[in-house]
Amino acid sequence: MSEEKSVSRRDFMNTAIWAIGGFISAAFAIPAIVYVIAPALQKNQLEEWVRLGSTDKVELGTPTLFKANIERQTGWIVNEEEISVYVLTENGRDYVAMSNICTHLGCRVRWISDQSQFFCPCHNAIFDEEGQVVSGPPPRPLDRYETKVENNQIFIKVG
Amino acid sequence: MTTRVGNWLDERVGWRKVWDAIFLRKIPKVNWLFTLGSASLFIALNQIFTGILLTIYYVPTPDHAYDSVQFITTQVPAGWLIRGLHHYGASAMVILVVLHMLRVIFYGAYKYPREVTWFSGVVLLLVTIGFGFTGYLLPWDQKAYWATTVGTSIAGTPPLIGDFILRIVRGGDELSAVTLARFFGVHVWVLPTILLLLTAFHMYLVIRIGISAIPKRGE
Repeated sequence: MSEEKSVSRRDFMNTAIWAIGGFISAAFAIPAIVYVIAPALQKNQLEEWVRLGSTDKVELGTPTLFKANIERQTGWIVNEEEISVYVLTENGRDYVAMSNICTHLGCRVRWISDQSQFFCPCHNAIFDEEGQVVSGPPPRPLDRYETKVENNQIFIKVG
Repeated sequence: MTTRVGNWLDERVGWRKVWDAIFLRKIPKVNWLFTLGSASLFIALNQIFTGILLTIYYVPTPDHAYDSVQFITTQVPAGWLIRGLHHYGASAMVILVVLHMLRVIFYGAYKYPREVTWFSGVVLLLVTIGFGFTGYLLPWDQKAYWATTVGTSIAGTPPLIGDFILRIVRGGDELSAVTLARFFGVHVWVLPTILLLLTAFHMYLVIRIGISAIPKRGE
């Protein structure tokens, strides 16, 4: 027992002050970090099905342009946003919905019916009717939405 | 390791002398009332820290102020905590600063050679009240709006120049976007600058002169 190293009052106080100080600092720092990085951790949106329109409008084998309004919440601001979607069907039963946003740098592509291809004016990128890259800088095919058809209405999942 | 880095730095920066002057200075036998100044300083640091964090989400315009505050409180993780610390810290700050002042008055600590410390403290009290007044408007809710309507009206009461002062404070005849923006500017730029400079000066004097002892009977 007498071999135990004695701790002086001064050393004890010193350690206690640093410990309490460290605890208070952590109590501030941890919530602060969570608070600052929160937007990066949250999932973008709630997913929801958005109605595009009637399947009657879609020509067989030709991408058809649909526009839909979606609500997008960023922080405390809710915006109405219009999205454009090309819908393609080869057999009238299976539908593919493609975003018109170029996968290169986010310009809007458009369907050129004479040449049967999508064209992006920013860097002359070309996609075929299924959205596969034919030429130009895009790193991947056009993004697709999940689709479903109910009562002859096409829906896409936005999220 | 820590000692070696400390020595290396001390040789070049001389921090140990500063550290010792601040934390190892001699003080007379005093009581807990003498911690009120340090407590005020701690809350001031709390206000600075949480205030800076709040500006990351807060927007000082009438169409976004209220919504951004609600967003902080209900949506941002720990936002309720950061805002709560700033909100309650503001009240604690005013209370502590006043108690600190009362201790200085009752112990006669404002006397020679500490008059200038006292003067800077009086201005710091006014700055604290200024923080409270300008910060109260920022959430832009009903209470904030009407409290500031009343508060600024008081600024308009002096004869002759009252109306002019009122228009300066509000940035116009009515409480508006201009009022909110200037209250925000004063709250986050003007007052903090004064607070930091004066607090540094105040503490320099406290350290340089040393704190007063509790007065004895018959002194």
